[in-house]
Amino acid sequence: MVRSKAPSKKQQKKGIDFKKIKRKLGRKLPPPTNATNTEIKSKAIVLPEQSVATNKEGLAVSKKGLTLKELLQQTSHHNAKVRRDALMGIKDLVLKHPAELRLHRYAVIEKLRERISDDDKVVREALYQLFKSEIFPGCAEDNQGLFISLVMTYIFNAMTNLSIDIRLMAFRFFDLVVQYHPPCFSLYAEKILQSYEDILRKNQFYLEDKGKLKSTLYGLVRCLSLLPSKKPGCQKNILGERKIHAFEPDLPTENTGFSVIIKKLKELVLVLINCFQDFIPLLNSMPQLDAQSFDCILSILQSIDIAVRFFIYGNHEESPEANPLQVTWDQTLLSGLSKKLLGVFPLYPKHHLSVKEDDRYFILNIVITEIFLHLREWICPSANVFAKFLEFMENALLGKTCSSTRSGKATWEKHVPSLLPFIPKLVSEVTTDWQSHLLEAFTKTFRDCNPESSLKLACLSMIEEMLIPRGDMHYTEASDPVALDYQTIWIRELPLLLILLGDKWPSSSQVVLHLLLRLGQFACWNSSLIWEYENTQFALCEFYSTCREGNIYYGPFMRLPRDSQELSICCLYYFSNFSTLLLKAITSCCLCPELEPYVLFRIIEVVHAAYKAGHIQFADHISFFITLLSRFKVYPENICPVKESDVQISNCGTFKSLTCMVCSCLSQMGDSSVVFRILEKAILDLISLKPQLDNACAMLRVLIMLDSKPTRLSEQSIIALSNFLPGYLMDVVHCIPEVDGNEVAVSNHVQTCRYYLLPCFFLFDRSNQLVKLFLNVMGSSLTDSSLSLESHNSTQYVTDSLSRMNITVSLLLLIYKDVKVQKIMSLFRTEIGSIMQSIASLQVWFCSVNFSSMKSPYLCKQNLKYV
Amino acid sequence: MDVVIASSSIDGGIGCWDLQTGAEQLRYKTCASPPHGLVSVGRRFLASSQLRDPSATSGHVLYWSWSKPQAEVKSFPAEPIKPLAADSEGSYIVGGGSSGDIYLWEVATGRLLKKWHAHYRAVTCLVFSEDNSLVISGSDDGCVRVWIFDDVRRQQASHLYEYSFTEHTLCVTDIIMGYGGGSAIIVSASEDRTCKVWSLSRGRLLRNIVFPSIIDAIALDPGEHVFYAGSRDGKIYIAALNAESSPSNSYGLHIIGSLSDHSKAVTCLAYSTERNLLLSGSEDGMVRVWDVKTQNIIRMFRHAKGPVNNILIVSRPLSLGRAESNAQGFSRRHGSSLPPPLEKYANSTDEDMDNKAIINLPATSNLPTDASYLSSQLINDHIKELQQQGSSAAVE
Repeated sequence: MVRSKAPSKKQQKKGIDFKKIKRKLGRKLPPPTNATNTEIKSKAIVLPEQSVATNKEGLAVSKKGLTLKELLQQTSHHNAKVRRDALMGIKDLVLKHPAELRLHRYAVIEKLRERISDDDKVVREALYQLFKSEIFPGCAEDNQGLFISLVMTYIFNAMTNLSIDIRLMAFRFFDLVVQYHPPCFSLYAEKILQSYEDILRKNQFYLEDKGKLKSTLYGLVRCLSLLPSKKPGCQKNILGERKIHAFEPDLPTENTGFSVIIKKLKELVLVLINCFQDFIPLLNSMPQLDAQSFDCILSILQSIDIAVRFFIYGNHEESPEANPLQVTWDQTLLSGLSKKLLGVFPLYPKHHLSVKEDDRYFILNIVITEIFLHLREWICPSANVFAKFLEFMENALLGKTCSSTRSGKATWEKHVPSLLPFIPKLVSEVTTDWQSHLLEAFTKTFRDCNPESSLKLACLSMIEEMLIPRGDMHYTEASDPVALDYQTIWIRELPLLLILLGDKWPSSSQVVLHLLLRLGQFACWNSSLIWEYENTQFALCEFYSTCREGNIYYGPFMRLPRDSQELSICCLYYFSNFSTLLLKAITSCCLCPELEPYVLFRIIEVVHAAYKAGHIQFADHISFFITLLSRFKVYPENICPVKESDVQISNCGTFKSLTCMVCSCLSQMGDSSVVFRILEKAILDLISLKPQLDNACAMLRVLIMLDSKPTRLSEQSIIALSNFLPGYLMDVVHCIPEVDGNEVAVSNHVQTCRYYLLPCFFLFDRSNQLVKLFLNVMGSSLTDSSLSLESHNSTQYVTDSLSRMNITVSLLLLIYKDVKVQKIMSLFRTEIGSIMQSIASLQVWFCSVNFSSMKSPYLCKQNLKYV
Repeated sequence: MDVVIASSSIDGGIGCWDLQTGAEQLRYKTCASPPHGLVSVGRRFLASSQLRDPSATSGHVLYWSWSKPQAEVKSFPAEPIKPLAADSEGSYIVGGGSSGDIYLWEVATGRLLKKWHAHYRAVTCLVFSEDNSLVISGSDDGCVRVWIFDDVRRQQASHLYEYSFTEHTLCVTDIIMGYGGGSAIIVSASEDRTCKVWSLSRGRLLRNIVFPSIIDAIALDPGEHVFYAGSRDGKIYIAALNAESSPSNSYGLHIIGSLSDHSKAVTCLAYSTERNLLLSGSEDGMVRVWDVKTQNIIRMFRHAKGPVNNILIVSRPLSLGRAESNAQGFSRRHGSSLPPPLEKYANSTDEDMDNKAIINLPATSNLPTDASYLSSQLINDHIKELQQQGSSAAVE
């Protein structure tokens, strides 16, 4: 303490000038008096969250652990790589969590659209992929209008960008938008076309970079194909569940507002023609036509084609002028088209290098031909030019211009159909010479192409157009003889084609059948055609079934789907002279167990309708019915009363309805007594052959349906029936096993028996003579058996006659259950008595040889006596 | 007096019953009509085409007046006529021939005004719309065509139909038209087991209903909620137009239910709007009257042994005994009131037919009061009033 005081005193004594201020190391200067206090005090330190360290549990993150928000932020990062990664990250995230996109789609699109005009190619490409694979499909279902308008502004922006790459990419983006939301084109049509025009005008670049041009042109083709270029066809949609008189939802149709763009489109076509013209020298100079230039030219031509179609066929009812065609066709356009485009036709390879090239030129030529054919009426071509095109068409149809390789054949099949729609009109307008050339070529095409190809279908629809008069009802008997020859060939080809198609191409078969039906309906206007149609029935037999050496071979008919089957059945109705051969073929189809009952009934309905219309002969029709009834195979052979309704197990139910149907048809055929007289002999002959139980029953049913009381049966028939009936009835009792047990089963059994017994009861009711004969036959058979029992001694025989007796007894019991029949039977006491007698004697005999199973007959006998 | 009139394809005459009391009226003799071949012409008389030998080259159309059982007027058109239809005033008759031609006659003079080739095969049914503006024809080729009657009448050259519906694959068996003139619906039945509902305003198919059997006759409920389809399996199916139908149904889509009494095929139907009754004719020769609410048969008329194929409900003039006054005053043998027979051929030397077409107004004394139309009178009055107002305003 003391020591420390002393030095301080010393110091104080020193002069102020030499005052030495000692500074200790490490000490700070005192703050100046005017200093601002910058110290910040805080009770706690809060660090901003760091992305790596945060807990993102429950949030959707990408592979790199970034949330959607972060990713979106990163899309505007200055580093292109980061931007691209962010886009990849978004894709990744959306893949894993689709819900995320749905929730934030507007936020996402608002951020992403900025990248449409990104400077970096890789980023744009990534964005394109992202849009294509995730965002557009993900947002497809909901309200797209807003969504699209958000994107479109940026796309338009990009389309006017200075950089050509960005512009081209913008077209690709637009293409994508149109793919997912087609109406968008109609909204922005004018602007879009302008953009296309602008970019196509800059023709210095595209000859270098054909790949990009190609994708742009693809987009143009897609856009233009949305233009209404056909007559609005009638909508095929049929109201399903809706009520008929409910209000229609008031939606604007898609095709409105296109008429304003006609002018723009014309300018575009001119630009396209120039583009095309620029390619021509290139073609000549190049050693061969490479794929990309080919694609470009093709797209250009297709665009022109679509535009031309729009000018001609599009309905421009909104345009102020009355006739759109006059408005549309200004001279520059027409002359441009005819000189620059049609003038260079046909394009042909300069140096025959490859087969592929031939095909490419072929395709281009086809498109040019199409354009020409559309324009034909407006440019009035000279005969020379016309002939040039006709010649090309003929060669194209004949397949001469195309290479014969497989790919060439495929190209041919793919592209020739686009020429076909012009043929009907051309044929009606060109000279006879060309007419026969064209028709010949067309017929050859029709014959040669694969039966299942789309070319065949196209041919068929053209045939329909040329065969079946549309609209005008002037029916001229003599159409020109040239066409008639070919028409005959086509009609003859149809059934063969049908057989060739078999059951493998049901949709094609359907088309052929439809054409046949149409032909049948409308062919009356031309007698030679109807004659040809009539003749198809012979070829059609094979379509149903053929019979060779006793075996039946079913045609494709059996295996086609039901609607095709129905169509082919409908065709039958229109044969005005149904041949027996065809009816036979159909009958064997009907008898096929695999045929669906529905189709069977349809066949009967239509055949009967055809009979009513006078197309089938009476005898044929009758034999059709009788064959059905007598030859229809009912399975299983034993009748099980319970499972009748089950189609899988038994077709007994089908046969019953078939019987019903045949009965009602027969009753409609005219005076039943006449029909009865015709049928009586045939049915009795068949019955005497002892058919299966069900068939016999069906025929008896037909008989009683046509018969009246008292019976019209002849003496002979009654004798035949009395010989047949005992056996039949015994069979019934034998085949339907009696059941013991619950009431339902018993009543079921009685029902089943009744079905088979009822026709006999009717017969009994109508003819007492029959009853008498019947009882006699029964009695004598019993007596015979009792007599022969004495002589025979084999066990087998004894068992047989025992069972026969049992059956007889239960049959009598069944008969007696019906009150009405009981009354009839009571008239024949003597006959019944004799039967009883023989039963009794048999019984005695059995008792004597001591058979065990005697109980039930005995009881039965008691019952009968009671009766 | 509402009477039910029925005819058959075999000769059983034309049966006639009072719908209210069920009492049988006069039976008109010798009539074997094809389906849709019986028609009441302006409620003045009955006309029916006749089924003839298929080999016959000419047709046969008979007229009966209300008061006499014998057919009084016989006409022989150039070919067999099957369906017949008359407009509501009874001024025109159209008939469909077996070649697909349709004939148009003027009743008052019997003149054949027009004959045109309408179908490729025989015409099977013909229907006039309620306001006589349209004629709808169905044919054996499955085609249903809609013709504008005025165009048909005026145009000399062959002309086109308004619509041609070709979706049926087989013969058309019946057509009915709903209410509402040009914007109505029509329902057509065909042997292809379907009934199709078409919109006249849009000219397209609205609904296709597949039935379990062929439908030969259809009748429309006045509210157009449902229609009734008489089928060959003896049932009358009820199919939904505007009514709710459950998708799970035993018969098929849009078929709500059925009326059935296990009889033979139903061949024709008629609906009495006034009494809400459905009449069905059957293959067994009976006419059944159904109460559609309770779905019960309330009356049966026995017509003949053969199938009934036409039923009409006509409100017949009460004064039967008196011969109808007729403005034209035709000369006839027995002084009957019927117009002359239909001509076989069109007389081409005739001057312009339009000017001579005479609409034969029915004698008003015979009509119930509710049937007289006042609208044109009213409109004339209004016009007069307006003109007066306008002229008075101009004066001021």
